[in-house]
Amino acid sequence: MSALQTFFAESGNAAAFFKMGGYAAYVWPAYAVFFIVLIVDSIAPRLRRRRVLRELRARIARQSSRQDRAASNPIITPPSL
Amino acid sequence: MSNWIPLWLHKLGSPPTFYRFAGALRPWAMALALLFGAIALYGGLVLAPADYQQGDAYRIIFIHVPSAWMSMFIYAVMGVAAFIALVWRLKLAEVVAMESAPIGAAFTFITLVTGSLWGKPMWGTWWTWDARLTSELVLLFLYLGVIGLYHAFEDRRQGARAAAFLAIIGIINVPIVHFSVNWWNTLHQGSTINVFGQSKISWDMLWPLLSMMLATKFYYIASLFSRVRTDLLALEGGKDWVRKIAESEARQ
Amino acid sequence: MSHPRLLNACAAMLRRDLTLAWRRRGDIAMPVLYALIVTMLFPFALGPEDTLLQRIAGGVVLVTVLLAMLLALDAMFSSDIEDGSLEQLVLAPQPLALMLGMKILAHWLTTALPLIVIAPLLAAMLHLPGAVIPVLLLALLLATPLLSLLGAVLVALTAGTRRSGMLLALMLLPLCVPAVIFAAGAVAAAQQGLPWLAPIAWLGAALVLAVVLAPLACAAALRIALDA
Repeated sequence: MSALQTFFAESGNAAAFFKMGGYAAYVWPAYAVFFIVLIVDSIAPRLRRRRVLRELRARIARQSSRQDRAASNPIITPPSL
Repeated sequence: MSNWIPLWLHKLGSPPTFYRFAGALRPWAMALALLFGAIALYGGLVLAPADYQQGDAYRIIFIHVPSAWMSMFIYAVMGVAAFIALVWRLKLAEVVAMESAPIGAAFTFITLVTGSLWGKPMWGTWWTWDARLTSELVLLFLYLGVIGLYHAFEDRRQGARAAAFLAIIGIINVPIVHFSVNWWNTLHQGSTINVFGQSKISWDMLWPLLSMMLATKFYYIASLFSRVRTDLLALEGGKDWVRKIAESEARQ
Repeated sequence: MSHPRLLNACAAMLRRDLTLAWRRRGDIAMPVLYALIVTMLFPFALGPEDTLLQRIAGGVVLVTVLLAMLLALDAMFSSDIEDGSLEQLVLAPQPLALMLGMKILAHWLTTALPLIVIAPLLAAMLHLPGAVIPVLLLALLLATPLLSLLGAVLVALTAGTRRSGMLLALMLLPLCVPAVIFAAGAVAAAQQGLPWLAPIAWLGAALVLAVVLAPLACAAALRIALDA
């Protein structure tokens, strides 16, 4: 990050970088929106994936328990699933 | 031997194969996106000199213009996938088209917001009704319409086909909207980048822009693959390969 | 030999839809009433100054007619879907696009035509100069079928869904932007004494294109939406 330091040294200090020549109120919110939207966009499928897999596991567990019951007690097996 | 490419494509089109393929490629695409993004940010925010007319405010270009390109690029991808989905009824194409829509909507939203934040100091207004801005807004509504129509159906595949049809209608519509608004009113600055001719932008400012363009492209691939993988799991819930994945991830 | 039979089928379709609409005359009056109420609200919201109302009159009438049509659009195929006659139509030997074209025509006659008839009244309520009203009517005469045709494609797409009202508005909005721009542009040009033929010609061209393509697209959309 030496280049960044030299940049800051040349332009006075780090504050000048964050000031953006007086346009900080426009530049930084723009970058913030860019990153927030993309972070939300990349987290959403991950959460959905976890939910889908959890539901799937619950369904598999239900089915296997039903099969177990059917195997141990064939008389009260429902005629059709 | 000449038909190995269609065969390979055909295999890739099957959900379990694509699931594995996307899973292998996704981390690389994300890594490249982060790498090019970091280079672009460093080049754009630190190395590039301030513009002699716009000062430092022009630095919004490094996210605004790549997002605008992506908003159109993703619509084109969605349109092609929608066409394939309607003509060949390929499940993977349906999924790609429908999962592209939220990413495209995200980039369109970014384009509108950053453009607004750029326009305020430069033109003195948050919004103006010129052709490019209005087309972008219409594009956002098209994306939202596609997403809304997809979720309005109870049957996911039927919803995907209906929404794919809407996406294709939209492709015809965007140029018409652009032309009609152009006819109506215009105030926007001319195009600054021309890939085939002499650019009006200096190299110091151009390379971070191109780097960010690559970053957004790779990000799209990563995000799309992640979404498509999830959607395939949800769609193929009853199949064996999905059950194996569900069980193996439970053990971890 | 098939031509007279096809024409008969078209005429039967048109007659059936018009009869059905006539049996429910109240529904025809609803969009008209809606347009009247909306137009009445504008002077209350913006103040009664003649110059301001005159300036916005053309646009307000166009947007009001568009919204009133949107209100009625939802009902274009809904009763036919409920009683299953639309599925019969899909299975019928006659070309589906042509039959749907007749349905769209019937829908336009029953919803848009009454709106066009009262459009001069709406324009007069907002003090639009009398000389501009023929241009407004011409613009409406070209723009409303365009909206009916585009709307029909979208209604067909939502045929298989439960809730479609708001969704329809969201989908139609991007498609109707050009029609609104050219129709309002023609009225505004006429009001300023400028030549207004160019936007009307564009509207006409778009209408010709839509008359040819929209029924085909509508048929394809309906096949997708009803294919379970």
